[in-house]
Amino acid sequence: MLSLALGEFLREFWPMLLVLALGNTAIVALLPHARRSRPAWAIFAGFFTVVLGAALLIHSERFLVETVLFWSFALIAVAAGGMLVTQSNPVYAALAFALVVLSTCGLFLLQAAPFLMAATITIYAGAIVVTFLFVIMLAQQEGHSSADLRSREPILASLAGFLFLGALLCVLHRAYDRPQAQELTLLAERLHRVARAETPQEVFTEMGEPKALAMTSPLVDALEKYLVDETRLHNLEGRWAALRPGAGDKQLGEVKRNAAEVLRQLQEHYTLYGLGGPPRGWENDAPGVRPKLPAANVDALGQTLFTDYLVPIELAGVLLLVATIGAIVIAGRRSEELR
Amino acid sequence: MTSLSLENYLIVGAALFALGLIGFLARRNLIIMFLSVEMMLQGVALNLVAFSSYHGNLGGQVMVLFILAVAACEAAIALALILMLFRSKKSLDVSLWQELREPDQEPITDDEPLLPAPVPPPDPTLTPAGAEPAQRPQETSHV
Repeated sequence: MLSLALGEFLREFWPMLLVLALGNTAIVALLPHARRSRPAWAIFAGFFTVVLGAALLIHSERFLVETVLFWSFALIAVAAGGMLVTQSNPVYAALAFALVVLSTCGLFLLQAAPFLMAATITIYAGAIVVTFLFVIMLAQQEGHSSADLRSREPILASLAGFLFLGALLCVLHRAYDRPQAQELTLLAERLHRVARAETPQEVFTEMGEPKALAMTSPLVDALEKYLVDETRLHNLEGRWAALRPGAGDKQLGEVKRNAAEVLRQLQEHYTLYGLGGPPRGWENDAPGVRPKLPAANVDALGQTLFTDYLVPIELAGVLLLVATIGAIVIAGRRSEELR
Repeated sequence: MTSLSLENYLIVGAALFALGLIGFLARRNLIIMFLSVEMMLQGVALNLVAFSSYHGNLGGQVMVLFILAVAACEAAIALALILMLFRSKKSLDVSLWQELREPDQEPITDDEPLLPAPVPPPDPTLTPAGAEPAQRPQETSHV
Protein backbone atom coordinates (compact mmCIF):
# COMPACT_ATOMS: atom_id res chain seq x y z
CA MET A 1 0.00 0.00 0.00
CA LEU A 2 2.76 2.36 0.99
CA SER A 3 4.94 1.41 -1.97
CA LEU A 4 1.97 2.03 -4.28
CA ALA A 5 1.51 5.53 -2.93
CA LEU A 6 5.25 6.14 -3.12
CA GLY A 7 5.36 4.91 -6.73
CA GLU A 8 2.50 7.20 -7.66
CA PHE A 9 4.18 10.12 -5.93
CA LEU A 10 7.45 9.51 -7.75
CA ARG A 11 5.73 9.15 -11.10
CA GLU A 12 3.97 12.46 -10.62
CA PHE A 13 6.93 14.47 -9.37
CA TRP A 14 10.09 12.90 -10.72
CA PRO A 15 11.27 15.80 -12.93
CA MET A 16 10.93 18.26 -10.09
CA LEU A 17 12.73 15.93 -7.67
CA LEU A 18 15.60 15.52 -10.13
CA VAL A 19 15.99 19.28 -10.49
CA LEU A 20 15.89 19.70 -6.71
CA ALA A 21 18.55 17.01 -6.27
CA LEU A 22 20.75 18.82 -8.79
CA GLY A 23 20.26 22.08 -6.89
CA ASN A 24 21.12 20.32 -3.66
CA THR A 25 24.45 19.05 -4.99
CA ALA A 26 25.23 22.46 -6.43
CA ILE A 27 24.58 24.25 -3.12
CA VAL A 28 26.53 21.69 -1.09
CA ALA A 29 29.48 22.07 -3.47
CA LEU A 30 29.26 25.86 -3.44
CA LEU A 31 29.06 26.34 0.34
CA PRO A 32 32.43 27.34 1.77
CA HIS A 33 34.57 24.34 2.58
CA ALA A 34 37.81 24.35 4.50
CA ARG A 35 39.99 22.23 2.26
CA ARG A 36 38.91 23.14 -1.21
CA SER A 37 37.98 26.21 -3.15
CA ARG A 38 34.72 26.59 -5.02
CA PRO A 39 34.52 24.15 -7.96
CA ALA A 40 33.57 25.58 -11.32
CA TRP A 41 31.15 22.80 -12.26
CA ALA A 42 28.96 23.67 -9.28
CA ILE A 43 28.29 27.15 -10.62
CA PHE A 44 27.09 25.67 -13.90
CA ALA A 45 25.03 23.09 -12.02
CA GLY A 46 23.40 25.86 -10.00
CA PHE A 47 22.67 27.85 -13.12
CA PHE A 48 21.14 24.83 -14.84
CA THR A 49 19.02 24.10 -11.77
CA VAL A 50 17.51 27.54 -11.86
CA VAL A 51 16.86 27.44 -15.60
CA LEU A 52 15.41 23.91 -15.56
CA GLY A 53 13.31 24.69 -12.51
CA ALA A 54 11.93 27.77 -14.19
CA ALA A 55 11.17 25.83 -17.37
CA LEU A 56 9.39 23.10 -15.40
CA LEU A 57 7.45 25.13 -12.93
CA ILE A 58 6.65 28.48 -14.41
CA HIS A 59 3.64 28.56 -16.67
CA SER A 60 3.22 31.57 -18.88
CA GLU A 61 1.16 31.20 -21.99
CA ARG A 62 1.37 34.67 -23.44
CA PHE A 63 4.72 36.24 -24.23
CA LEU A 64 4.28 39.80 -23.00
CA VAL A 65 6.63 42.38 -21.58
CA GLU A 66 5.30 41.35 -18.20
CA THR A 67 6.42 37.75 -18.69
CA VAL A 68 9.94 38.85 -19.65
CA LEU A 69 10.12 41.12 -16.62
CA PHE A 70 8.85 38.40 -14.32
CA TRP A 71 11.39 35.92 -15.63
CA SER A 72 14.31 38.31 -15.29
CA PHE A 73 13.36 39.46 -11.79
CA ALA A 74 12.72 35.90 -10.58
CA LEU A 75 15.97 34.53 -12.03
CA ILE A 76 18.02 37.40 -10.57
CA ALA A 77 16.34 36.99 -7.19
CA VAL A 78 17.05 33.26 -6.95
CA ALA A 79 20.59 33.59 -8.34
CA ALA A 80 21.42 36.41 -5.92
CA GLY A 81 19.90 34.35 -3.11
CA GLY A 82 22.22 31.49 -4.01
CA MET A 83 25.13 33.91 -4.06
CA LEU A 84 24.23 35.30 -0.66
CA VAL A 85 24.20 31.85 0.87
CA THR A 86 27.46 30.64 -0.65
CA GLN A 87 29.69 33.72 -0.62
CA SER A 88 32.66 33.74 1.76
CA ASN A 89 33.16 37.49 1.83
CA PRO A 90 30.38 39.07 3.94
CA VAL A 91 30.53 42.32 1.98
CA TYR A 92 29.72 40.46 -1.23
CA ALA A 93 26.95 38.66 0.63
CA ALA A 94 25.44 41.97 1.75
CA LEU A 95 25.55 43.26 -1.82
CA ALA A 96 23.89 40.05 -3.04
CA PHE A 97 21.17 40.65 -0.47
CA ALA A 98 20.66 44.15 -1.84
CA LEU A 99 20.22 42.54 -5.27
CA VAL A 100 17.64 40.13 -3.85
CA VAL A 101 15.74 43.06 -2.38
CA LEU A 102 15.83 44.95 -5.67
CA SER A 103 14.46 42.02 -7.68
CA THR A 104 11.80 41.30 -5.08
CA CYS A 105 10.75 44.92 -5.35
CA GLY A 106 10.55 44.50 -9.11
CA LEU A 107 8.16 41.61 -8.52
CA PHE A 108 6.17 43.81 -6.12
CA LEU A 109 5.85 46.42 -8.84
CA LEU A 110 4.58 43.78 -11.28
CA GLN A 111 1.76 43.06 -8.84
CA ALA A 112 0.46 46.61 -8.45
CA ALA A 113 2.28 47.45 -5.20
CA PRO A 114 4.33 50.56 -6.04
CA PHE A 115 4.33 51.97 -2.52
CA LEU A 116 5.67 48.71 -1.12
CA MET A 117 8.37 48.67 -3.78
CA ALA A 118 9.56 52.13 -2.83
CA ALA A 119 9.29 51.48 0.91
CA THR A 120 11.15 48.16 0.72
CA ILE A 121 13.96 49.60 -1.37
CA THR A 122 14.33 52.56 0.99
CA ILE A 123 14.21 50.56 4.19
CA TYR A 124 15.92 47.32 3.22
CA ALA A 125 18.41 48.15 0.50
CA GLY A 126 18.86 51.67 1.79
CA ALA A 127 18.95 51.45 5.56
CA ILE A 128 19.36 47.83 6.67
CA VAL A 129 22.04 46.81 4.14
CA VAL A 130 24.02 49.98 4.82
CA THR A 131 23.87 49.33 8.56
CA PHE A 132 25.07 45.81 7.97
CA LEU A 133 27.96 47.08 5.90
CA PHE A 134 28.90 49.46 8.71
CA VAL A 135 28.97 46.59 11.19
CA ILE A 136 31.03 44.44 8.83
CA MET A 137 33.51 47.26 8.37
CA LEU A 138 33.76 47.72 12.12
CA ALA A 139 34.16 44.05 12.86
CA GLN A 140 35.97 42.46 9.95
CA GLN A 141 38.08 44.84 7.98
CA GLU A 142 40.19 42.17 6.35
CA GLY A 143 37.30 40.63 4.38
CA HIS A 144 37.48 36.90 5.03
CA SER A 145 37.82 35.52 8.48
CA SER A 146 38.40 31.89 9.34
CA ALA A 147 34.70 31.59 10.17
CA ASP A 148 33.69 32.53 6.66
CA LEU A 149 35.75 29.81 5.06
CA ARG A 150 33.87 27.01 6.80
CA SER A 151 30.24 25.93 7.02
CA ARG A 152 28.35 24.08 9.72
CA GLU A 153 26.94 20.81 8.42
CA PRO A 154 26.55 21.83 4.77
CA ILE A 155 25.05 18.51 3.61
CA LEU A 156 22.40 18.33 6.32
CA ALA A 157 21.54 22.00 6.05
CA SER A 158 20.98 21.98 2.30
CA LEU A 159 19.14 18.66 2.55
CA ALA A 160 16.77 20.24 5.07
CA GLY A 161 16.29 23.31 2.87
CA PHE A 162 15.64 21.31 -0.28
CA LEU A 163 13.29 18.87 1.43
CA PHE A 164 11.30 21.86 2.63
CA LEU A 165 11.35 23.41 -0.85
CA GLY A 166 10.33 20.10 -2.39
CA ALA A 167 7.39 19.79 -0.02
CA LEU A 168 6.25 23.33 -0.84
CA LEU A 169 6.58 22.78 -4.58
CA CYS A 170 4.70 19.48 -4.43
CA VAL A 171 1.85 21.15 -2.57
CA LEU A 172 1.76 24.00 -5.10
CA HIS A 173 1.79 21.53 -7.97
CA ARG A 174 -1.06 19.56 -6.47
CA ALA A 175 -3.05 22.71 -5.87
CA TYR A 176 -2.58 24.36 -9.25
CA ASP A 177 -1.51 21.80 -11.83
CA ARG A 178 -3.89 18.95 -11.16
CA PRO A 179 -5.49 17.61 -14.30
CA GLN A 180 -8.84 17.99 -12.54
CA ALA A 181 -8.26 21.71 -12.07
CA GLN A 182 -7.56 22.04 -15.77
CA GLU A 183 -10.58 19.94 -16.62
CA LEU A 184 -12.77 22.19 -14.50
CA THR A 185 -11.41 25.26 -16.24
CA LEU A 186 -12.20 23.71 -19.63
CA LEU A 187 -15.74 22.84 -18.52
CA ALA A 188 -16.21 26.37 -17.23
CA GLU A 189 -15.00 27.70 -20.58
CA ARG A 190 -17.62 25.63 -22.39
CA LEU A 191 -20.28 26.83 -19.98
CA HIS A 192 -19.22 30.39 -20.60
CA ARG A 193 -19.57 29.91 -24.33
CA VAL A 194 -23.11 28.63 -23.75
CA ALA A 195 -23.86 31.70 -21.65
CA ARG A 196 -22.72 33.95 -24.49
CA ALA A 197 -24.26 31.97 -27.36
CA GLU A 198 -25.95 33.93 -30.13
CA THR A 199 -27.81 31.06 -31.77
CA PRO A 200 -29.18 27.73 -30.52
CA GLN A 201 -26.61 25.97 -32.74
CA GLU A 202 -23.79 27.29 -30.58
CA VAL A 203 -25.53 25.88 -27.51
CA PHE A 204 -25.81 22.52 -29.24
CA THR A 205 -22.11 22.41 -30.15
CA GLU A 206 -21.22 22.82 -26.49
CA MET A 207 -23.93 20.81 -24.81
CA GLY A 208 -25.02 18.33 -27.42
CA GLU A 209 -28.37 18.23 -29.22
CA PRO A 210 -31.47 17.01 -27.34
CA LYS A 211 -32.77 14.54 -29.92
CA ALA A 212 -34.44 11.92 -27.81
CA LEU A 213 -36.59 12.19 -24.72
CA ALA A 214 -34.83 12.20 -21.37
CA MET A 215 -31.44 12.59 -22.99
CA THR A 216 -28.73 14.08 -20.79
CA SER A 217 -26.14 16.57 -21.87
CA PRO A 218 -22.52 15.40 -21.58
CA LEU A 219 -21.55 18.84 -20.25
CA VAL A 220 -24.10 18.55 -17.46
CA ASP A 221 -22.90 15.03 -16.65
CA ALA A 222 -19.32 16.24 -16.41
CA LEU A 223 -20.29 19.17 -14.21
CA GLU A 224 -22.37 17.12 -11.79
CA LYS A 225 -19.40 15.85 -9.83
CA TYR A 226 -18.18 19.38 -9.10
CA LEU A 227 -21.39 20.73 -7.57
CA VAL A 228 -23.13 19.79 -4.36
CA ASP A 229 -26.34 21.73 -4.98
CA GLU A 230 -27.51 20.58 -8.41
CA THR A 231 -30.80 22.49 -8.74
CA ARG A 232 -29.40 25.12 -11.06
CA LEU A 233 -27.70 22.47 -13.14
CA HIS A 234 -30.97 20.57 -13.53
CA ASN A 235 -32.73 23.81 -14.47
CA LEU A 236 -30.17 24.32 -17.20
CA GLU A 237 -30.64 20.79 -18.42
CA GLY A 238 -34.40 21.23 -18.51
CA ARG A 239 -34.14 24.42 -20.52
CA TRP A 240 -31.63 22.81 -22.86
CA ALA A 241 -33.89 19.80 -23.44
CA ALA A 242 -36.71 22.15 -24.45
CA LEU A 243 -34.52 24.05 -26.93
CA ARG A 244 -35.13 23.46 -30.63
CA PRO A 245 -32.94 24.50 -33.59
CA GLY A 246 -35.34 27.21 -34.62
CA ALA A 247 -36.05 28.49 -31.11
CA GLY A 248 -36.69 32.13 -30.44
CA ASP A 249 -34.72 34.58 -28.37
CA LYS A 250 -36.75 34.03 -25.22
CA GLN A 251 -35.97 30.33 -24.97
CA LEU A 252 -32.32 30.90 -25.85
CA GLY A 253 -32.21 33.64 -23.24
CA GLU A 254 -33.50 31.22 -20.61
CA VAL A 255 -30.75 28.72 -21.44
CA LYS A 256 -28.12 31.45 -21.32
CA ARG A 257 -29.34 32.78 -17.99
CA ASN A 258 -29.31 29.35 -16.42
CA ALA A 259 -25.83 28.71 -17.76
CA ALA A 260 -24.64 32.00 -16.23
CA GLU A 261 -26.14 31.00 -12.87
CA VAL A 262 -24.35 27.66 -12.88
CA LEU A 263 -21.14 29.46 -13.81
CA ARG A 264 -21.52 31.85 -10.88
CA GLN A 265 -22.07 28.92 -8.55
CA LEU A 266 -18.89 27.28 -9.82
CA GLN A 267 -16.90 30.45 -9.36
CA GLU A 268 -18.08 30.85 -5.81
CA HIS A 269 -16.66 27.49 -4.89
CA TYR A 270 -13.55 27.03 -6.98
CA THR A 271 -10.54 29.11 -7.87
CA LEU A 272 -11.14 28.77 -11.56
CA TYR A 273 -8.68 31.38 -12.61
CA GLY A 274 -5.63 29.96 -10.92
CA LEU A 275 -4.00 28.77 -14.14
CA GLY A 276 -2.77 31.58 -16.30
CA GLY A 277 -5.61 33.91 -15.43
CA PRO A 278 -9.06 33.95 -16.99
CA PRO A 279 -9.38 32.95 -20.64
CA ARG A 280 -9.28 35.73 -23.17
CA GLY A 281 -12.24 38.02 -23.18
CA TRP A 282 -13.60 36.99 -19.82
CA GLU A 283 -12.40 39.93 -17.82
CA ASN A 284 -15.15 42.26 -18.86
CA ASP A 285 -18.26 40.14 -18.84
CA ALA A 286 -17.69 37.09 -16.70
CA PRO A 287 -19.83 37.15 -13.61
CA GLY A 288 -18.19 37.08 -10.21
CA VAL A 289 -14.69 37.95 -11.35
CA ARG A 290 -12.36 38.67 -8.47
CA PRO A 291 -12.01 42.31 -7.45
CA LYS A 292 -8.93 44.14 -8.63
CA LEU A 293 -6.60 46.24 -6.55
CA PRO A 294 -7.30 49.99 -6.71
CA ALA A 295 -5.04 51.90 -9.08
CA ALA A 296 -4.37 54.70 -6.59
CA ASN A 297 -2.31 52.43 -4.42
CA VAL A 298 -0.97 54.97 -1.95
CA ASP A 299 -4.39 56.55 -1.38
CA ALA A 300 -6.06 53.22 -0.83
CA LEU A 301 -3.26 51.97 1.44
CA GLY A 302 -3.45 55.13 3.49
CA GLN A 303 -7.18 54.81 3.87
CA THR A 304 -6.98 51.16 4.89
CA LEU A 305 -4.10 51.73 7.27
CA PHE A 306 -5.70 54.57 9.14
CA THR A 307 -9.20 53.17 9.32
CA ASP A 308 -9.03 49.38 9.48
CA TYR A 309 -5.53 48.97 10.86
CA LEU A 310 -5.24 51.96 13.16
CA VAL A 311 -4.40 50.06 16.33
CA PRO A 312 -1.68 47.95 14.66
CA ILE A 313 -0.13 51.16 13.28
CA GLU A 314 0.09 52.67 16.72
CA LEU A 315 1.48 49.45 18.13
CA ALA A 316 4.09 49.34 15.36
CA GLY A 317 5.10 52.88 16.30
CA VAL A 318 5.50 51.85 19.92
CA LEU A 319 7.49 48.80 18.80
CA LEU A 320 9.85 50.96 16.77
CA LEU A 321 10.36 53.28 19.74
CA VAL A 322 11.07 50.40 22.10
CA ALA A 323 13.45 48.80 19.60
CA THR A 324 15.39 52.03 19.18
CA ILE A 325 15.74 52.49 22.92
CA GLY A 326 16.70 48.84 23.30
CA ALA A 327 19.36 49.04 20.59
CA ILE A 328 20.90 52.12 22.18
CA VAL A 329 20.89 50.54 25.62
CA ILE A 330 22.32 47.21 24.45
CA ALA A 331 25.04 48.59 22.24
CA GLY A 332 25.94 51.32 24.71
CA ARG A 333 27.01 49.00 27.49
CA ARG A 334 30.67 48.54 28.09
CA SER A 335 31.91 44.96 27.96
CA GLU A 336 33.05 45.06 31.58
CA GLU A 337 29.45 45.38 32.69
CA LEU A 338 28.59 42.07 31.00
CA ARG A 339 30.35 39.97 33.64
CA MET B 1 -5.65 40.55 -14.20
CA THR B 2 -2.19 39.42 -15.12
CA SER B 3 -1.22 36.80 -17.61
CA LEU B 4 1.03 35.27 -14.97
CA SER B 5 -0.88 33.23 -12.52
CA LEU B 6 -0.53 33.16 -8.81
CA GLU B 7 1.59 30.07 -8.38
CA ASN B 8 4.59 31.51 -10.23
CA TYR B 9 5.08 34.14 -7.54
CA LEU B 10 4.50 31.56 -4.81
CA ILE B 11 7.23 29.38 -6.31
CA VAL B 12 9.72 32.26 -6.27
CA GLY B 13 8.75 33.07 -2.67
CA ALA B 14 9.25 29.44 -1.68
CA ALA B 15 12.67 29.35 -3.36
CA LEU B 16 13.81 32.50 -1.55
CA PHE B 17 12.59 31.13 1.78
CA ALA B 18 14.35 27.80 1.30
CA LEU B 19 17.62 29.49 0.31
CA GLY B 20 17.43 31.69 3.38
CA LEU B 21 16.83 28.59 5.50
CA ILE B 22 19.91 26.89 4.08
CA GLY B 23 22.00 30.00 4.65
CA PHE B 24 20.90 30.33 8.24
CA LEU B 25 21.65 26.70 9.05
CA ALA B 26 24.92 26.36 7.20
CA ARG B 27 26.85 29.58 7.68
CA ARG B 28 28.91 30.59 10.68
CA ASN B 29 29.23 34.31 10.25
CA LEU B 30 26.60 36.09 12.33
CA ILE B 31 26.05 38.78 9.73
CA ILE B 32 25.43 36.29 6.92
CA MET B 33 23.10 34.30 9.16
CA PHE B 34 21.08 37.40 9.80
CA LEU B 35 21.03 38.33 6.11
CA SER B 36 19.61 34.86 5.38
CA VAL B 37 16.84 35.51 7.90
CA GLU B 38 16.04 38.75 6.14
CA MET B 39 15.89 36.85 2.84
CA MET B 40 13.33 34.51 4.39
CA LEU B 41 11.28 37.56 5.26
CA GLN B 42 11.52 38.73 1.65
CA GLY B 43 10.14 35.40 0.45
CA VAL B 44 7.20 35.69 2.83
CA ALA B 45 6.57 39.28 1.75
CA LEU B 46 6.48 38.19 -1.88
CA ASN B 47 3.89 35.52 -1.02
CA LEU B 48 1.73 38.04 0.79
CA VAL B 49 1.83 40.58 -2.02
CA ALA B 50 1.00 37.84 -4.56
CA PHE B 51 -2.09 36.82 -2.62
CA SER B 52 -3.06 40.43 -2.10
CA SER B 53 -3.05 41.08 -5.84
CA TYR B 54 -4.80 37.76 -6.56
CA HIS B 55 -7.75 38.57 -4.31
CA GLY B 56 -7.77 42.33 -4.87
CA ASN B 57 -7.50 42.79 -1.11
CA LEU B 58 -5.07 45.32 0.34
CA GLY B 59 -4.64 43.34 3.57
CA GLY B 60 -1.63 41.49 2.21
CA GLN B 61 0.18 44.71 1.38
CA VAL B 62 -0.63 46.14 4.81
CA MET B 63 0.86 43.02 6.36
CA VAL B 64 4.04 43.48 4.32
CA LEU B 65 4.27 47.05 5.62
CA PHE B 66 4.15 45.73 9.15
CA ILE B 67 6.73 43.09 8.28
CA LEU B 68 8.95 45.94 7.07
CA ALA B 69 8.55 47.82 10.35
CA VAL B 70 9.22 44.73 12.44
CA ALA B 71 12.21 43.77 10.28
CA ALA B 72 13.72 47.21 10.83
CA CYS B 73 13.31 46.86 14.61
CA GLU B 74 14.73 43.37 14.48
CA ALA B 75 17.72 44.54 12.46
CA ALA B 76 18.47 47.26 14.97
CA ILE B 77 18.33 44.96 17.98
CA ALA B 78 20.17 42.13 16.22
CA LEU B 79 23.00 44.40 15.17
CA ALA B 80 23.29 45.76 18.68
CA LEU B 81 23.52 42.21 20.01
CA ILE B 82 26.03 41.24 17.33
CA LEU B 83 28.18 44.19 18.34
CA MET B 84 28.07 43.06 21.97
CA LEU B 85 29.02 39.52 21.00
CA PHE B 86 31.85 40.83 18.86
CA ARG B 87 33.20 42.94 21.70
CA SER B 88 33.36 39.81 23.88
CA LYS B 89 35.15 37.45 21.54
CA LYS B 90 36.58 39.79 18.92
CA SER B 91 35.10 37.63 16.15
CA LEU B 92 31.82 37.26 14.29
CA ASP B 93 32.01 33.46 14.41
CA VAL B 94 28.98 31.84 16.01
CA SER B 95 30.89 28.61 16.70
CA LEU B 96 32.97 30.38 19.34
CA TRP B 97 29.96 30.46 21.62
CA GLN B 98 30.13 26.77 22.45
CA GLU B 99 29.06 27.30 26.07
CA LEU B 100 25.54 28.06 24.83
CA ARG B 101 24.97 24.56 23.46
CA GLU B 102 22.63 21.90 24.84
CA PRO B 103 24.03 19.83 27.76
CA ASP B 104 24.16 16.57 25.82
CA GLN B 105 25.50 17.98 22.55
CA GLU B 106 29.05 17.54 21.29
CA PRO B 107 31.03 20.73 20.84
CA ILE B 108 31.78 21.69 17.26
CA THR B 109 35.49 21.46 16.55
CA ASP B 110 37.34 22.62 13.47
CA ASP B 111 39.25 19.55 12.46
CA GLU B 112 40.07 20.37 8.89
CA PRO B 113 42.90 22.80 8.35
CA LEU B 114 42.24 25.73 6.11
CA LEU B 115 43.89 26.15 2.76
CA PRO B 116 47.05 28.25 3.06
CA ALA B 117 46.29 31.89 2.41
CA PRO B 118 47.24 32.82 -1.13
CA VAL B 119 50.63 34.57 -1.19
CA PRO B 120 50.27 37.88 -2.96
CA PRO B 121 52.51 38.09 -6.02
CA PRO B 122 55.76 39.98 -5.42
CA ASP B 123 55.93 43.56 -6.56
CA PRO B 124 57.11 43.84 -10.13
CA THR B 125 60.61 45.08 -10.73
CA LEU B 126 61.64 47.04 -13.74
CA THR B 127 64.81 46.49 -15.65
CA PRO B 128 66.80 49.69 -15.80
CA ALA B 129 66.29 51.41 -19.12
CA GLY B 130 68.66 53.51 -21.09
CA ALA B 131 72.40 53.30 -21.66
CA GLU B 132 74.97 53.51 -18.89
CA PRO B 133 76.43 57.00 -18.74
CA ALA B 134 80.01 57.17 -20.08
CA GLN B 135 82.57 56.95 -17.25
CA ARG B 136 84.15 60.32 -16.83
CA PRO B 137 87.82 60.36 -15.85
CA GLN B 138 88.27 61.27 -12.25
CA GLU B 139 89.05 64.93 -11.93
CA THR B 140 90.80 66.22 -8.91
CA SER B 141 89.68 69.78 -8.84
CA HIS B 142 88.85 72.65 -11.03
CA VAL B 143 90.38 75.15 -8.87
